[in-house]
Parts: sequence; structure tokens; C-alpha cells
Amino acid sequence: MSLATEAPGFAAPAVAAAARQHGARDPLIVVEGVVKIYSTVAGDSVLALDNIDLTVRDGEFVCLVGPSGCGKTTLLRLLAGLDTADAGTSSLAGKALNGPSPEVGVVFQQSNLLPWFTVLQNVMLPLRVGGSSRDAGKIAEIHKLLEIAGLKGFENKYPYELSGGMQQRAAIVRALARDPKLLLMDEPFGALDALTRERMNAELQRIWLASKKTVVLITHSIDEAIFLGDRVVVMSPRPGRIVRDLVVDVPRPRIAAETFGSPSHVALAREIRMLLE
Amino acid sequence: MADVRTETNALDLIATSAAAAQSRRRNVRIRNIGIGIAGFLTLLLVWKAGVIVLKVPPYILPAPEQVFVALWSGIAVSPASPLGWYMPLWSTMSNALLGFVIGASLGLLLGSLMAEFRSVETALMPYAFALQSLPKVAIAPLIVIWCGFGDGSKVAMAALLAFFPMLVNCFAGIRAAEVERLELMKALAASRLETYYLVKLPSAAPYIFAGLDMGIVYALLGTIVAEFLGAQSGMGVAITKAQAVTDVAGVFGALVVLGVTGILLHLVVRRIERSVVHWANRGKH
Repeated sequence: MSLATEAPGFAAPAVAAAARQHGARDPLIVVEGVVKIYSTVAGDSVLALDNIDLTVRDGEFVCLVGPSGCGKTTLLRLLAGLDTADAGTSSLAGKALNGPSPEVGVVFQQSNLLPWFTVLQNVMLPLRVGGSSRDAGKIAEIHKLLEIAGLKGFENKYPYELSGGMQQRAAIVRALARDPKLLLMDEPFGALDALTRERMNAELQRIWLASKKTVVLITHSIDEAIFLGDRVVVMSPRPGRIVRDLVVDVPRPRIAAETFGSPSHVALAREIRMLLE
Repeated sequence: MADVRTETNALDLIATSAAAAQSRRRNVRIRNIGIGIAGFLTLLLVWKAGVIVLKVPPYILPAPEQVFVALWSGIAVSPASPLGWYMPLWSTMSNALLGFVIGASLGLLLGSLMAEFRSVETALMPYAFALQSLPKVAIAPLIVIWCGFGDGSKVAMAALLAFFPMLVNCFAGIRAAEVERLELMKALAASRLETYYLVKLPSAAPYIFAGLDMGIVYALLGTIVAEFLGAQSGMGVAITKAQAVTDVAGVFGALVVLGVTGILLHLVVRRIERSVVHWANRGKH
């Protein structure tokens, strides 16, 4: 936490948390009536997303949960500009989203670091592609992010020299490199073991509190969703629909040992589990 | 105090086990070298025994020591002597390497274009297949007609033979780039050129090196074939000259020189590959 208060570019967590409590923030993402149809190799059409409405406010942490094949990854890909919707609109900060945007950072299931680049070269990739890899201010920002993510001293290592958790943290730093408004995460910790995963959840909360980003995170883990999310959005199996939008009213920073097992956590987890069955 | 001692002991243990592992590896290497030498000596003995027992005349198969004498007589001369291996080897090598560079570069360029643009692939693939199936050595007489009996034909043959493995490997390597990495570049709104040199080309690197490895040996082959068809210098000329006077030991000597050259070129490529493609075989992520 102390890191965040020292870093001038980031709001102190207490202030950010207070702002969150008071609400009154503008919507950042507005998804309205989005439909996505996939055609299979056999020639059939599959309705992946059916009339999705979703609003995510600026600075909010929203977790999407749902069974496999409920279209949550499809929804994320639409927001990332990797796919286009067949109907409906989605916008980011009032501008229509219809392609990849520098205002959106994506963290994939696998860390997806390029093995031929060092950690620093990997996290600099978005700047290099954006043509601003020589911008001193942005480079300083990257080094600050690496420090927050606990990767200081590993800048010149190659991905294969890092643990799975460190690789995924590097992937998060890469996603934040262009200072996007929105961070999209598709089961970022799914490939990690349970203990590492829990630690990464705490790390992600810390990075998020320090960076004031809006996050949409997909997860299979109900516990992870409740621990991380301001809201948990539950989706139904194919065709993907939003069946419930739950608010997690637990103050931040949340601590795993206190949050898990608390009555409100257990009640929420039970509700989500029943929705998913 | 007791804690400190345990820690030291643990460190000692680690150091000892690392040293043991290293000496085990060294022993294995020494044993492998031993097996190699023993195998080679056995081969020479069987060869010598065969020549003696079957009374093979030296113009059919010379004894190993005769080959060694022929080989040595070409080594123990001034590098400028026309009797040594140096002049013909230099001639062959320089033409082969020049042809290799030209052929491999064209293969890389055309393979990349075919992998990047479907229209180029559709247009060129039939010709690539047809030429690939053709024994390219058969084109050599045509090349000699076009480029004459000088170095031009040798370079052209080397380039032609180095071109195809490079084309095919570069094409396959670029097409094998992982979808996740391409999506990453798409999400970053990278241009086609950025995606090509930041992701596709490095993804293809292991394939490209396999192509280079094949290509360099093929380039040597192409040069020798062109030399057979009538040239003034080169290892191919050294072989045909020795053959003309039934100096079979001399032919063997030239073959040994070429074999060693081929192995060295292969090792150089492998060495460069290991330092360039350092991430391969180091776990997937």
C-alpha cells in the first residue's frame, strides 16, 4: 500500500475507496442489446450472446461468472475489439467500440508473453506498437508499474526464467502499459495453482487500488469473483444472457483471511452457486 | 550457532551435489567420445581387413592409409599451391556461400510473402510444388548454358538448391505462429508489418534455422554439381581430375574434405541457432 501513496501518479487507496463508496461516477462501458452469432464448421448457427445489456462505471471492478460456453469470453472479445457484434452497440467513454483501442488493455488466460523478448521488452510491446517506446515519461511509468508488480530486478530476464505467477504479473503490467481506461482479464489466474492464485488475487487488488482502472474480469471461481469484484455479473449457459447483477458490499482493501468465510461472503457465494446450477 | 552450522552444511550439500552432477555429465561425455573413437578405429580395421582379405585393387578401393596419405599430401602444402585442398575448397566454399546467401534470402522473402498474402500463395504455390518435386540437379546443364562454365553457374546452382528448403520452412514457420500471440498483436492494434517482425518472424525462427541448416549443405551440393559439368576450379574439379587418372585415394581424400566441411557448416548453423533461438526447448511459457 505504501508504494501507492508514494507514487505521485496514483491516487491513495483510501481516497479511491472513498470515491467508490460515494458512487456518482460516470458509466465507462455501456453495452446495449448486443447479440453475437457464431457459425460452426458444420454450417449451424449458434447464438453465443443474446441481448446483453451491461453498464460498467468508471473505476469499477466487475467480475463475470458463468459456466463454460456461456459467452463470457465472447463478450470480453467484443469489448477488446477482437470480434464484432451482430447486433447492438457497445461504447467506451461515450465512443463506439468497434475495433481494438489503446484505451483497452487485455490480459489473456495464458500470460502470452513473447518468449523471444525479455520482461522489459514484453511490457514495452504496447508502446513499441503504438510508436511511443522512446517517450521518457511512459518508460518511467512502466518501471513504476514493474515495481508495483514486484518485478523490479527481473526486467532483463526472459519469460521462461520466471514463475507462472510472475509471468502473469508481467502480462498485467503489459496490459497497463498504455495507461488504458479499461482492463479486460480473461481468467488470468486459471492456469495457476490455488495458493499462487490467492496471492495473485491480493496482488491484483493492490495494483487495481493503486491504478484506478476499470476492470472487467472473467473467472470460473466464485470465491475469486466475490473477493475481487465490486459487482459480480452472473451469466447463463448458451445462449449467454445476464441472469443477475450482484453488488459486493465489502470494504477495501479486502483481506482473504477475513473475507472468505464471512457471513456476507458465504451468503453471496451460495446465491451465485444456486444461479449457476 | 547451531543454526548457522546447519545452514553451512546445507550449502555444502548443494555444492557437493552440483559438483557430483557436473562430474557425472563430464564422465558421460568422455565415455561418448571414447565410443566414437572406438567405432571409428573399428571401421578403419574392417576396411583394411576387407581390402587385404578380398584383395581389392587400389583403383577400386584404396586402403585407409592410402586415403590418409592422399588427404595429407593436400594438407601439408602451401595454401597457395594448386596441389593442395585449400585453393579448390576456397573456390567451392566462396561460391557455395554466396549462392546460399542469395538463395536463402530469396527463400525468406518469397516464403514470407506467400505466408502473408493469400493471393501470392495461390499464384506461386503450384510452381513451388512443381519445382520442389523436380530433381533440381537435373536443371544444372541448363544453368551452365545460361551462366557459362565460370563461377556464375556455381553460385546459381547453390542459390537454387538453398532456395527451396528456405521457402518451404519460412512459409510453414510463419503459418505456425500461435493464434494467441497474433490476437495479442491484434488487440494492440499492431500494423501488419509490426505483427510480421515482432511475432511472426520470431515464431518462424526455429523453422527458418532448420531451412538454413538444410540449405547450407544443399548449396555445397549445388556448387559441386556445377563444377562436375565443367569448371576450372573447385572441389568438384579436384574430384574429376583424380577420377580421370584413377587416383581413387585422391577422390576419397576430396570426399573426406567435403564431408568435414559439411559437418563444420552444420555445426556453425546450429551454434548460431542456439544463441538466436534461445527460448526454444525452455518450456512453453
